[in-house]
Amino acid sequence: MAKILIVDDEPHIRMLLEQALEEVEDKGVALLKAENGEQALDAVRQNKPNLVFLDVMMPKMNGFDVCRAIKNDPAVQDTYIVLLTAKGQEFDRQKGDEVGADMYMTKPFDPDEIVAKAFEVLKLSR
Amino acid sequence: MAEITLKKIFSDTGVRSAVNDIMTSINSPMSVLDADEEYLLGADKNGSALRFPIALSGCVIGWVTGTEEARPVAALIDHLARREQERKSLAAETLDRYKEISLLYNFVDKIALCLNLNEVAKLVIEETRKNIRSSSASVMLLNQRTRNLEILAASGRESSPKMTLKPGVGIGIAGTVFFSGKAEIVNNVASDPRYIKGANRVGSMMCAPLKTRDRVIGVINVSSEEPVGYTAGNLKLLHMLTAQSALVIENAVFHENKLKEERIKSNLERYVAPQIVKAIMDSKENIVFSPTKRNITVLFSDIRNFTTTCEQQPPEKIVEHLNEYFTHMVDVIFTHGGTLNKFVGDMIVAFFGAPGKTDQNEKRAIESAIGMQKRIKTIPAVWIQNNFHTGIGINSGEVVIGNIGSPHHMDYTAIGDEVNTGSRLQSMAKGGQILVSRSVYEATKDLFQFKEIGSVQVKGKNRSVEVFEVLY
Repeated sequence: MAKILIVDDEPHIRMLLEQALEEVEDKGVALLKAENGEQALDAVRQNKPNLVFLDVMMPKMNGFDVCRAIKNDPAVQDTYIVLLTAKGQEFDRQKGDEVGADMYMTKPFDPDEIVAKAFEVLKLSR
Repeated sequence: MAEITLKKIFSDTGVRSAVNDIMTSINSPMSVLDADEEYLLGADKNGSALRFPIALSGCVIGWVTGTEEARPVAALIDHLARREQERKSLAAETLDRYKEISLLYNFVDKIALCLNLNEVAKLVIEETRKNIRSSSASVMLLNQRTRNLEILAASGRESSPKMTLKPGVGIGIAGTVFFSGKAEIVNNVASDPRYIKGANRVGSMMCAPLKTRDRVIGVINVSSEEPVGYTAGNLKLLHMLTAQSALVIENAVFHENKLKEERIKSNLERYVAPQIVKAIMDSKENIVFSPTKRNITVLFSDIRNFTTTCEQQPPEKIVEHLNEYFTHMVDVIFTHGGTLNKFVGDMIVAFFGAPGKTDQNEKRAIESAIGMQKRIKTIPAVWIQNNFHTGIGINSGEVVIGNIGSPHHMDYTAIGDEVNTGSRLQSMAKGGQILVSRSVYEATKDLFQFKEIGSVQVKGKNRSVEVFEVLY
């Protein structure tokens, strides 16, 4: 069963992503959620999701660190990671590349783009 | 909104474990089954007599089976299901709002820097159609000249770019919306008496005004061939897009007008003095370029014996001298508010009084002629000073002036007897001389000194011309 992990410290963003991905969920994809970096890393290692929507600005362990840890772990390094950054927030794209992120999206994200990306990464048909 | 199932509610490990703990603590066999009778939780596999349904909006989504002790568990799960339904409904609503924000962000990003009117209109239509179900959409703008609403851009089946509409109450749905400034949904277009039938069928439509700070500049139409039942939410979205678009469209219109103005200005500056250009551009009245009768003063200036004078000079040198000479002469003409009409070989033709109307044309033409004669003596190239001797003729009167020529080539020029007389006066003038006609003399006799030359029969004219020489 394909899995998507949603990681954001803000509950409403998690809820929005979950709602946006409802169409993907209806295809039998499991949606997992984590509210901080540490939880995210545990969830990735434990559940091995195919795709992670990962917020960058989070307390304790930020998105860059989570991404680096995932990409350095041979057991889960193939996980497709989409970094979510807030519009207007200074974002170090070079750092994103260094830690191995596969893609970046800016908040407010386009829900249709999120769904399209999930369909593409999970190779689902509409 | 997607269906809420018990399986989904119990996929949350927190919920699953809490309900399981409660069931265990009750110490009575019971189970939770989903709508398909699939066991989700519990050990009551014997099918106890009691089944407590869990329902949402009148629809059973599962059961709790067991003894009477299972009833409160069913009530708890029922409550959880309702909460989940509320949460989903709230999430769906929030997502809709979020989509609107995201749409606006992207839309504003895309159109903010766009100054091309057609591109802006196309973008507006593209975004509108992407977000609102429709078979066609169009942007209509008010033509300030004709006061008609005209289609600026359209897409889909109803794209007839030539369609125009006189806005007013009850004249077309778009016309009414333009006039009232209020967006409308018309879900049954066929029964709306305002509807003006086009080439294609329209079942439902929405129309929103493009409003700037103080006026309505146009409308955006969205329509569907089939009746679709547009909602207040659709209209709100259209309203948001039009609100953002109106200012950008107004800016683009302003930018296009500015570019047009710049083009006209740059063309005009080749012929008339910058201050005249400014006066023309600032003028409230329309400058007429189509041929029209006008009282103007014409000035002809020509270098005497130019061909003989230049015989010994290589052609490149002659061009160089002529360019320098013309630059100085045009500068003097412009300084006195004249309009350069053309160069014909070494001859200069200038107008005073067109295309912009000016006063004291005769006075300014003579001042210009005196200035030209004096300037030749100060041109840095000594060869020009010594060899270019010009004769100038000035006449005034009614001529036909405007763009004259063929559709492929037009010249702004003057035609008429008074123009020919000016040319004849010039051909009579010796180097350094300024000859004027009686009309010019009469208008300026108190301002300059003249010597009466007398009546001269000029070539091609039946009556003689009275000639005066300007003394300077």
